[in-house]
Amino acid sequence: MPAELEFYTVDAGELSQEREQIERLLRESDLGWDSRVGTFVVCREGAQLIACAGLDRDVVKCVAISPAFRGSSLSLQLGSELLKVAMERGHFHLFLFTKPENAVFFRGWGFYPLVEVQDRVTLMENSPIAIRKYCKDLQALRQPGGKIGCIVMNANPLTLGHRYLAEIAAGACDWLHVFIVREEASMFSYAERYELASQGLSNIRNITVHHGSEYIISRATFPSYFLKGKCAVDECFTAVDLLLFREYIAPALDITHRYVGTEPICQVTNKYNQDMKLWLEAANSRSPSIEVVEVPRTTWRGGPISASEVRRLLQDKSLGKIEELVPESTMNLLISRFGDKQKSEMTHGVEH
Amino acid sequence: MRIITEAVAGTLESSDLLVKVSPSREKTLEIHVTSDVMKQFGTQIRRVVDDTLQGLAVTDGLIVIEDKGALDYAIRARVQAAVLRGAASKELNWEQLS
Repeated sequence: MPAELEFYTVDAGELSQEREQIERLLRESDLGWDSRVGTFVVCREGAQLIACAGLDRDVVKCVAISPAFRGSSLSLQLGSELLKVAMERGHFHLFLFTKPENAVFFRGWGFYPLVEVQDRVTLMENSPIAIRKYCKDLQALRQPGGKIGCIVMNANPLTLGHRYLAEIAAGACDWLHVFIVREEASMFSYAERYELASQGLSNIRNITVHHGSEYIISRATFPSYFLKGKCAVDECFTAVDLLLFREYIAPALDITHRYVGTEPICQVTNKYNQDMKLWLEAANSRSPSIEVVEVPRTTWRGGPISASEVRRLLQDKSLGKIEELVPESTMNLLISRFGDKQKSEMTHGVEH
Repeated sequence: MRIITEAVAGTLESSDLLVKVSPSREKTLEIHVTSDVMKQFGTQIRRVVDDTLQGLAVTDGLIVIEDKGALDYAIRARVQAAVLRGAASKELNWEQLS
Protein backbone atom coordinates (compact mmCIF):
# COMPACT_ATOMS: atom_id res chain seq x y z
CA MET A 1 0.00 0.00 0.00
CA PRO A 2 1.40 3.39 -0.92
CA ALA A 3 2.39 5.77 1.85
CA GLU A 4 -0.19 8.35 2.78
CA LEU A 5 -0.17 11.69 1.02
CA GLU A 6 0.72 14.63 3.17
CA PHE A 7 -0.13 18.20 2.12
CA TYR A 8 1.42 21.22 3.74
CA THR A 9 2.23 24.88 3.12
CA VAL A 10 5.67 26.50 3.16
CA ASP A 11 6.65 30.13 2.77
CA ALA A 12 9.12 30.48 -0.07
CA GLY A 13 11.56 32.15 2.31
CA GLU A 14 11.53 29.16 4.64
CA LEU A 15 12.09 26.40 2.13
CA SER A 16 14.98 24.13 3.02
CA GLN A 17 15.20 20.62 1.64
CA GLU A 18 12.02 21.22 -0.40
CA ARG A 19 13.59 23.83 -2.66
CA GLU A 20 15.66 21.37 -4.65
CA GLN A 21 12.77 18.93 -4.97
CA ILE A 22 10.40 21.66 -6.10
CA GLU A 23 12.88 22.77 -8.75
CA ARG A 24 13.17 19.21 -9.99
CA LEU A 25 9.38 18.86 -10.15
CA LEU A 26 9.13 22.11 -12.09
CA ARG A 27 11.84 20.99 -14.52
CA GLU A 28 9.93 17.78 -15.23
CA SER A 29 7.01 19.99 -16.27
CA ASP A 30 9.13 22.41 -18.34
CA LEU A 31 8.65 25.12 -15.74
CA GLY A 32 11.22 27.34 -14.11
CA TRP A 33 11.65 28.56 -10.56
CA ASP A 34 9.76 31.80 -9.95
CA SER A 35 11.21 33.98 -7.21
CA ARG A 36 7.99 35.96 -6.89
CA VAL A 37 6.09 32.99 -5.49
CA GLY A 38 5.55 33.70 -1.80
CA THR A 39 3.94 30.45 -0.73
CA PHE A 40 4.08 26.86 -1.89
CA VAL A 41 1.57 24.13 -1.21
CA VAL A 42 3.42 20.85 -1.53
CA CYS A 43 2.42 17.20 -1.40
CA ARG A 44 4.68 14.52 -0.06
CA GLU A 45 4.49 10.76 -0.26
CA GLY A 46 6.91 9.51 2.34
CA ALA A 47 10.17 11.31 1.71
CA GLN A 48 9.34 12.16 -1.87
CA LEU A 49 7.86 15.49 -2.95
CA ILE A 50 5.34 14.64 -5.67
CA ALA A 51 3.40 17.85 -6.31
CA CYS A 52 3.61 21.58 -5.76
CA ALA A 53 1.59 24.71 -6.46
CA GLY A 54 2.74 28.29 -5.82
CA LEU A 55 0.98 31.50 -4.98
CA ASP A 56 2.28 34.95 -5.90
CA ARG A 57 -0.39 36.93 -4.07
CA ASP A 58 -3.46 36.52 -6.31
CA VAL A 59 -1.67 34.65 -9.10
CA VAL A 60 -1.30 30.87 -9.10
CA LYS A 61 2.07 29.72 -10.46
CA CYS A 62 4.48 26.83 -10.56
CA VAL A 63 1.92 24.04 -10.53
CA ALA A 64 3.61 20.70 -11.13
CA ILE A 65 2.77 17.08 -10.46
CA SER A 66 5.21 14.20 -10.69
CA PRO A 67 4.43 12.28 -13.93
CA ALA A 68 3.54 9.07 -12.05
CA PHE A 69 0.77 10.85 -10.16
CA ARG A 70 -0.82 12.74 -13.01
CA GLY A 71 -4.43 11.92 -13.77
CA SER A 72 -5.07 10.82 -10.19
CA SER A 73 -7.25 12.48 -7.59
CA LEU A 74 -4.12 14.17 -6.24
CA SER A 75 -4.59 17.13 -8.59
CA LEU A 76 -7.96 18.09 -7.13
CA GLN A 77 -6.64 17.75 -3.58
CA LEU A 78 -3.74 20.01 -4.49
CA GLY A 79 -6.15 22.53 -6.04
CA SER A 80 -8.39 22.48 -2.97
CA GLU A 81 -5.43 23.02 -0.65
CA LEU A 82 -4.16 25.89 -2.75
CA LEU A 83 -7.55 27.62 -2.85
CA LYS A 84 -7.80 27.25 0.92
CA VAL A 85 -4.39 28.83 1.47
CA ALA A 86 -5.17 31.66 -0.99
CA MET A 87 -8.44 32.34 0.81
CA GLU A 88 -6.70 32.39 4.21
CA ARG A 89 -4.37 35.01 2.82
CA GLY A 90 -7.24 37.13 1.61
CA HIS A 91 -7.07 36.26 -2.09
CA PHE A 92 -10.54 35.29 -3.24
CA HIS A 93 -10.22 36.25 -6.90
CA LEU A 94 -7.33 34.33 -8.47
CA PHE A 95 -5.60 34.27 -11.84
CA LEU A 96 -3.27 31.82 -13.49
CA PHE A 97 -1.26 31.47 -16.66
CA THR A 98 -0.88 28.12 -18.34
CA LYS A 99 -0.19 26.54 -21.69
CA PRO A 100 -3.41 26.39 -23.71
CA GLU A 101 -3.35 22.58 -23.72
CA ASN A 102 -3.44 22.56 -19.89
CA ALA A 103 -6.44 24.87 -19.61
CA VAL A 104 -8.77 21.88 -19.36
CA PHE A 105 -6.80 20.63 -16.32
CA PHE A 106 -7.40 23.90 -14.48
CA ARG A 107 -11.08 23.85 -15.39
CA GLY A 108 -11.17 21.11 -12.76
CA TRP A 109 -9.88 23.65 -10.24
CA GLY A 110 -12.73 26.03 -11.03
CA PHE A 111 -10.69 28.28 -13.34
CA TYR A 112 -12.15 29.66 -16.57
CA PRO A 113 -10.20 30.91 -19.62
CA LEU A 114 -10.15 34.65 -20.25
CA VAL A 115 -7.83 34.96 -23.25
CA GLU A 116 -5.60 32.65 -25.22
CA VAL A 117 -2.48 33.62 -27.11
CA GLN A 118 -2.49 30.87 -29.68
CA ASP A 119 -0.05 28.04 -28.91
CA ARG A 120 1.58 30.12 -26.20
CA VAL A 121 -0.38 30.93 -23.09
CA THR A 122 -3.90 31.09 -21.63
CA LEU A 123 -4.93 33.42 -18.83
CA MET A 124 -7.61 32.00 -16.54
CA GLU A 125 -9.51 33.29 -13.49
CA ASN A 126 -11.34 31.35 -10.80
CA SER A 127 -14.78 32.67 -11.60
CA PRO A 128 -17.20 31.90 -14.41
CA ILE A 129 -18.75 35.36 -14.23
CA ALA A 130 -16.32 37.95 -12.85
CA ILE A 131 -15.25 39.35 -16.22
CA ARG A 132 -18.83 39.40 -17.48
CA LYS A 133 -19.95 41.37 -14.42
CA TYR A 134 -17.05 43.76 -14.86
CA CYS A 135 -17.95 44.39 -18.52
CA LYS A 136 -21.59 44.90 -17.60
CA ASP A 137 -20.55 47.63 -15.16
CA LEU A 138 -18.49 49.25 -17.91
CA GLN A 139 -21.37 49.07 -20.39
CA ALA A 140 -23.39 51.31 -18.10
CA LEU A 141 -20.75 54.01 -18.76
CA ARG A 142 -20.94 53.80 -22.55
CA GLN A 143 -21.08 57.06 -24.47
CA PRO A 144 -22.64 57.67 -27.88
CA GLY A 145 -20.49 58.27 -30.95
CA GLY A 146 -18.74 56.48 -33.77
CA LYS A 147 -15.20 57.25 -32.70
CA ILE A 148 -14.49 56.35 -29.10
CA GLY A 149 -10.94 56.68 -27.79
CA CYS A 150 -9.16 55.17 -24.83
CA ILE A 151 -5.94 55.83 -22.93
CA VAL A 152 -4.53 53.62 -20.20
CA MET A 153 -2.14 55.51 -17.97
CA ASN A 154 -0.28 54.98 -14.73
CA ALA A 155 -0.01 58.77 -14.22
CA ASN A 156 2.67 58.54 -11.55
CA PRO A 157 2.00 61.47 -11.19
CA LEU A 158 -0.15 63.18 -13.83
CA THR A 159 1.91 65.61 -15.93
CA LEU A 160 1.16 68.11 -18.67
CA GLY A 161 2.32 65.33 -21.00
CA HIS A 162 -0.62 63.15 -19.96
CA ARG A 163 -2.97 66.10 -20.29
CA TYR A 164 -1.65 66.93 -23.75
CA LEU A 165 -2.17 63.35 -24.91
CA ALA A 166 -5.70 63.31 -23.46
CA GLU A 167 -6.54 66.65 -25.13
CA ILE A 168 -5.34 65.43 -28.52
CA ALA A 169 -7.29 62.19 -28.15
CA ALA A 170 -10.46 63.83 -26.85
CA GLY A 171 -10.28 66.40 -29.66
CA ALA A 172 -10.17 63.65 -32.26
CA CYS A 173 -12.92 61.47 -30.73
CA ASP A 174 -16.57 61.69 -29.77
CA TRP A 175 -15.64 60.49 -26.29
CA LEU A 176 -12.46 59.55 -24.45
CA HIS A 177 -12.22 56.87 -21.76
CA VAL A 178 -9.14 57.07 -19.53
CA PHE A 179 -8.17 54.19 -17.24
CA ILE A 180 -5.75 54.68 -14.37
CA VAL A 181 -3.59 51.63 -13.63
CA ARG A 182 -4.80 50.33 -10.28
CA GLU A 183 -1.79 48.35 -9.10
CA GLU A 184 0.03 49.78 -6.09
CA ALA A 185 3.58 49.56 -7.41
CA SER A 186 4.39 53.21 -7.91
CA MET A 187 5.81 56.18 -6.04
CA PHE A 188 2.31 57.65 -5.74
CA SER A 189 -0.55 55.61 -4.35
CA TYR A 190 -3.44 54.61 -6.56
CA ALA A 191 -5.78 56.94 -4.67
CA GLU A 192 -3.43 59.87 -5.29
CA ARG A 193 -2.87 59.02 -8.96
CA TYR A 194 -6.60 58.64 -9.59
CA GLU A 195 -7.45 61.86 -7.79
CA LEU A 196 -4.77 63.85 -9.64
CA ALA A 197 -5.90 62.47 -12.99
CA SER A 198 -9.53 63.31 -12.26
CA GLN A 199 -8.62 66.87 -11.30
CA GLY A 200 -5.91 67.43 -13.88
CA LEU A 201 -8.08 66.27 -16.79
CA SER A 202 -11.30 67.94 -15.65
CA ASN A 203 -10.80 70.69 -18.26
CA ILE A 204 -11.71 68.16 -20.96
CA ARG A 205 -15.43 68.03 -21.66
CA ASN A 206 -15.85 64.63 -23.34
CA ILE A 207 -13.90 62.41 -20.99
CA THR A 208 -14.51 59.73 -18.36
CA VAL A 209 -11.69 58.90 -15.94
CA HIS A 210 -12.22 55.26 -14.94
CA HIS A 211 -10.87 53.28 -12.05
CA GLY A 212 -8.38 50.66 -13.19
CA SER A 213 -8.91 46.98 -12.47
CA GLU A 214 -7.06 43.70 -12.38
CA TYR A 215 -7.99 43.31 -16.05
CA ILE A 216 -5.93 46.31 -17.21
CA ILE A 217 -2.15 46.32 -16.79
CA SER A 218 -2.21 44.58 -13.43
CA ARG A 219 0.24 42.25 -11.77
CA ALA A 220 -2.08 39.46 -12.84
CA THR A 221 -2.34 40.32 -16.51
CA PHE A 222 1.02 41.95 -17.10
CA PRO A 223 3.59 41.10 -14.41
CA SER A 224 6.66 42.41 -16.20
CA TYR A 225 5.27 45.96 -16.38
CA PHE A 226 5.96 46.24 -12.66
CA LEU A 227 9.47 44.83 -12.86
CA LYS A 228 10.99 47.46 -15.07
CA GLY A 229 14.67 47.04 -15.66
CA LYS A 230 14.71 43.63 -14.04
CA CYS A 231 13.69 41.42 -16.89
CA ALA A 232 12.99 41.47 -20.58
CA VAL A 233 9.39 42.15 -21.45
CA ASP A 234 7.74 38.89 -22.18
CA GLU A 235 5.73 39.19 -25.34
CA CYS A 236 3.18 36.72 -24.03
CA PHE A 237 2.23 39.04 -21.21
CA THR A 238 1.75 42.12 -23.36
CA ALA A 239 -0.33 39.93 -25.66
CA VAL A 240 -2.52 38.72 -22.79
CA ASP A 241 -3.06 42.23 -21.49
CA LEU A 242 -3.82 43.66 -24.92
CA LEU A 243 -6.14 40.82 -25.93
CA LEU A 244 -8.07 41.29 -22.70
CA PHE A 245 -8.48 44.92 -23.69
CA ARG A 246 -9.53 44.10 -27.23
CA GLU A 247 -11.90 41.26 -26.41
CA TYR A 248 -13.59 42.53 -23.24
CA ILE A 249 -12.97 46.16 -22.32
CA ALA A 250 -13.10 47.76 -25.77
CA PRO A 251 -16.38 46.05 -26.79
CA ALA A 252 -17.97 46.99 -23.44
CA LEU A 253 -17.35 50.69 -24.12
CA ASP A 254 -17.45 50.59 -27.94
CA ILE A 255 -13.82 51.74 -28.02
CA THR A 256 -12.47 52.09 -31.55
CA HIS A 257 -9.13 53.83 -30.97
CA ARG A 258 -6.39 53.50 -28.40
CA TYR A 259 -4.09 56.47 -27.87
CA VAL A 260 -0.58 56.32 -26.58
CA GLY A 261 2.35 58.72 -26.26
CA THR A 262 5.59 57.88 -28.01
CA GLU A 263 8.05 56.45 -25.55
CA PRO A 264 11.63 57.61 -25.97
CA ILE A 265 12.93 56.60 -22.53
CA CYS A 266 11.41 53.51 -20.93
CA GLN A 267 12.11 50.27 -22.78
CA VAL A 268 9.24 48.33 -21.26
CA THR A 269 6.69 50.98 -22.17
CA ASN A 270 8.16 51.35 -25.65
CA LYS A 271 7.89 47.60 -26.23
CA TYR A 272 4.31 47.72 -24.96
CA ASN A 273 3.51 50.46 -27.48
CA GLN A 274 4.95 48.41 -30.33
CA ASP A 275 3.08 45.29 -29.23
CA MET A 276 -0.13 47.30 -29.16
CA LYS A 277 -0.11 47.60 -32.92
CA LEU A 278 0.34 43.86 -33.24
CA TRP A 279 -2.27 42.65 -30.76
CA LEU A 280 -4.90 45.38 -31.03
CA GLU A 281 -4.74 45.83 -34.79
CA ALA A 282 -3.09 43.03 -36.72
CA ALA A 283 -3.43 39.79 -34.75
CA ASN A 284 -6.28 37.36 -35.23
CA SER A 285 -8.99 37.84 -32.64
CA ARG A 286 -12.70 37.25 -32.24
CA SER A 287 -13.05 41.00 -31.72
CA PRO A 288 -12.64 43.77 -34.31
CA SER A 289 -9.36 45.66 -34.66
CA ILE A 290 -8.71 48.73 -32.57
CA GLU A 291 -6.72 51.48 -34.22
CA VAL A 292 -3.60 52.44 -32.31
CA VAL A 293 -2.68 56.13 -32.52
CA GLU A 294 0.79 57.08 -31.36
CA VAL A 295 1.02 60.76 -30.44
CA PRO A 296 4.48 62.37 -30.25
CA ARG A 297 5.25 63.47 -26.72
CA THR A 298 4.92 67.09 -25.90
CA THR A 299 8.20 68.70 -24.93
CA TRP A 300 9.37 71.46 -22.63
CA ARG A 301 12.68 73.20 -23.29
CA GLY A 302 13.72 70.49 -25.69
CA GLY A 303 13.06 67.45 -23.49
CA PRO A 304 9.98 65.22 -23.48
CA ILE A 305 7.64 65.71 -20.52
CA SER A 306 7.35 62.48 -18.62
CA ALA A 307 6.34 61.33 -15.15
CA SER A 308 9.70 59.63 -14.73
CA GLU A 309 11.42 63.00 -15.31
CA VAL A 310 9.19 64.52 -12.63
CA ARG A 311 10.11 61.77 -10.19
CA ARG A 312 13.79 62.27 -10.99
CA LEU A 313 13.51 66.00 -10.27
CA LEU A 314 11.77 65.18 -7.00
CA GLN A 315 14.65 62.97 -6.00
CA ASP A 316 17.05 65.78 -6.88
CA LYS A 317 14.89 68.03 -4.69
CA SER A 318 14.31 70.37 -7.65
CA LEU A 319 10.67 71.06 -6.87
CA GLY A 320 10.82 74.42 -8.61
CA LYS A 321 11.66 72.91 -11.99
CA ILE A 322 8.61 70.64 -11.82
CA GLU A 323 6.13 73.49 -11.87
CA GLU A 324 6.37 73.83 -15.66
CA LEU A 325 5.79 70.11 -16.24
CA VAL A 326 2.63 69.39 -14.26
CA PRO A 327 -0.90 70.76 -13.84
CA GLU A 328 -1.68 72.88 -10.80
CA SER A 329 -3.43 70.05 -8.94
CA THR A 330 -0.37 67.81 -9.20
CA MET A 331 1.90 70.68 -8.13
CA ASN A 332 -0.25 71.34 -5.06
CA LEU A 333 0.07 67.74 -3.97
CA LEU A 334 3.82 67.73 -4.53
CA ILE A 335 4.24 70.90 -2.49
CA SER A 336 2.09 69.62 0.36
CA ARG A 337 3.96 66.33 0.41
CA PHE A 338 7.52 67.29 -0.39
CA GLY A 339 7.59 71.08 -0.19
CA ASP A 340 8.08 71.56 3.54
CA LYS A 341 10.68 68.87 3.76
CA GLN A 342 12.71 70.36 0.95
CA LYS A 343 12.32 73.87 2.33
CA SER A 344 13.35 72.84 5.83
CA GLU A 345 16.34 70.99 4.45
CA MET A 346 17.35 74.16 2.64
CA THR A 347 16.90 76.22 5.81
CA HIS A 348 19.04 73.80 7.71
CA GLY A 349 21.66 74.17 5.04
CA VAL A 350 21.75 77.90 5.59
CA GLU A 351 21.97 77.57 9.34
CA HIS A 352 24.96 75.34 9.19
CA MET B 1 -29.67 36.82 5.56
CA ARG B 2 -27.20 38.71 3.41
CA ILE B 3 -23.72 37.78 2.23
CA ILE B 4 -21.45 40.50 3.55
CA THR B 5 -18.03 38.96 3.08
CA GLU B 6 -16.31 36.51 0.75
CA ALA B 7 -16.29 32.94 1.99
CA VAL B 8 -15.67 29.41 0.78
CA ALA B 9 -16.73 25.93 1.84
CA GLY B 10 -15.96 22.50 0.46
CA THR B 11 -13.30 21.11 -1.84
CA LEU B 12 -12.81 20.31 -5.51
CA GLU B 13 -12.48 16.61 -4.83
CA SER B 14 -14.66 13.94 -6.37
CA SER B 15 -18.12 13.62 -4.76
CA ASP B 16 -17.68 17.00 -3.08
CA LEU B 17 -18.30 20.56 -4.19
CA LEU B 18 -16.76 23.99 -3.69
CA VAL B 19 -19.14 26.78 -2.75
CA LYS B 20 -17.93 30.37 -3.04
CA VAL B 21 -20.06 33.23 -1.82
CA SER B 22 -19.44 36.96 -2.11
CA PRO B 23 -21.45 40.15 -1.58
CA SER B 24 -23.69 41.33 -4.40
CA ARG B 25 -23.28 44.96 -5.34
CA GLU B 26 -26.71 44.97 -6.98
CA LYS B 27 -28.22 43.52 -3.79
CA THR B 28 -29.64 40.58 -5.68
CA LEU B 29 -29.27 36.86 -5.26
CA GLU B 30 -27.29 35.38 -8.13
CA ILE B 31 -26.46 31.68 -8.40
CA HIS B 32 -24.04 29.96 -10.79
CA VAL B 33 -23.68 26.20 -10.81
CA THR B 34 -21.07 24.28 -12.78
CA SER B 35 -21.07 20.52 -12.39
CA ASP B 36 -19.31 17.47 -13.78
CA VAL B 37 -22.79 15.95 -13.98
CA MET B 38 -24.64 19.04 -15.17
CA LYS B 39 -26.41 17.19 -17.98
CA GLN B 40 -27.77 14.43 -15.78
CA PHE B 41 -28.35 16.23 -12.50
CA GLY B 42 -28.13 19.98 -13.16
CA THR B 43 -31.79 20.62 -12.38
CA GLN B 44 -31.71 18.55 -9.20
CA ILE B 45 -28.51 20.25 -7.95
CA ARG B 46 -29.98 23.65 -8.61
CA ARG B 47 -33.15 22.72 -6.73
CA VAL B 48 -31.16 21.63 -3.66
CA VAL B 49 -29.13 24.85 -3.77
CA ASP B 50 -32.24 27.01 -4.14
CA ASP B 51 -34.04 25.20 -1.31
CA THR B 52 -31.05 25.53 1.00
CA LEU B 53 -30.68 29.25 0.31
CA GLN B 54 -34.39 29.74 0.81
CA GLY B 55 -34.26 27.80 4.09
CA LEU B 56 -31.59 30.23 5.31
CA ALA B 57 -33.59 33.19 3.96
CA VAL B 58 -30.66 34.45 1.90
CA THR B 59 -31.80 37.59 0.12
CA ASP B 60 -28.66 38.78 -1.60
CA GLY B 61 -25.24 37.48 -2.53
CA LEU B 62 -23.31 35.92 -5.36
CA ILE B 63 -23.15 32.13 -5.05
CA VAL B 64 -20.73 30.24 -7.31
CA ILE B 65 -20.65 26.44 -7.14
CA GLU B 66 -18.17 23.98 -8.62
CA ASP B 67 -19.80 20.61 -8.17
CA LYS B 68 -17.91 17.34 -8.52
CA GLY B 69 -20.85 14.99 -8.28
CA ALA B 70 -21.80 15.57 -4.65
CA LEU B 71 -24.88 14.00 -3.11
CA ASP B 72 -27.76 16.22 -2.02
CA TYR B 73 -26.91 16.32 1.67
CA ALA B 74 -23.29 17.27 0.90
CA ILE B 75 -24.54 20.09 -1.30
CA ARG B 76 -26.85 21.28 1.44
CA ALA B 77 -24.12 21.19 4.10
CA ARG B 78 -21.53 22.99 1.97
CA VAL B 79 -23.97 25.72 0.90
CA GLN B 80 -25.01 26.25 4.51
CA ALA B 81 -21.41 26.44 5.70
CA ALA B 82 -20.39 28.94 3.01
CA VAL B 83 -23.45 31.13 3.59
CA LEU B 84 -23.05 31.19 7.36
CA ARG B 85 -19.38 32.13 6.96
CA GLY B 86 -20.19 34.76 4.34
CA ALA B 87 -23.00 36.23 6.38
CA ALA B 88 -20.60 36.38 9.34
CA SER B 89 -23.42 34.81 11.30
CA LYS B 90 -22.74 34.34 14.99
CA GLU B 91 -26.05 32.94 16.11
CA LEU B 92 -27.09 29.68 14.57
CA ASN B 93 -30.73 28.92 14.10
CA TRP B 94 -30.59 25.14 14.08
CA GLU B 95 -34.16 24.85 12.83
CA GLN B 96 -33.21 26.65 9.65
CA LEU B 97 -30.34 24.26 9.11
CA SER B 98 -32.29 21.05 9.39
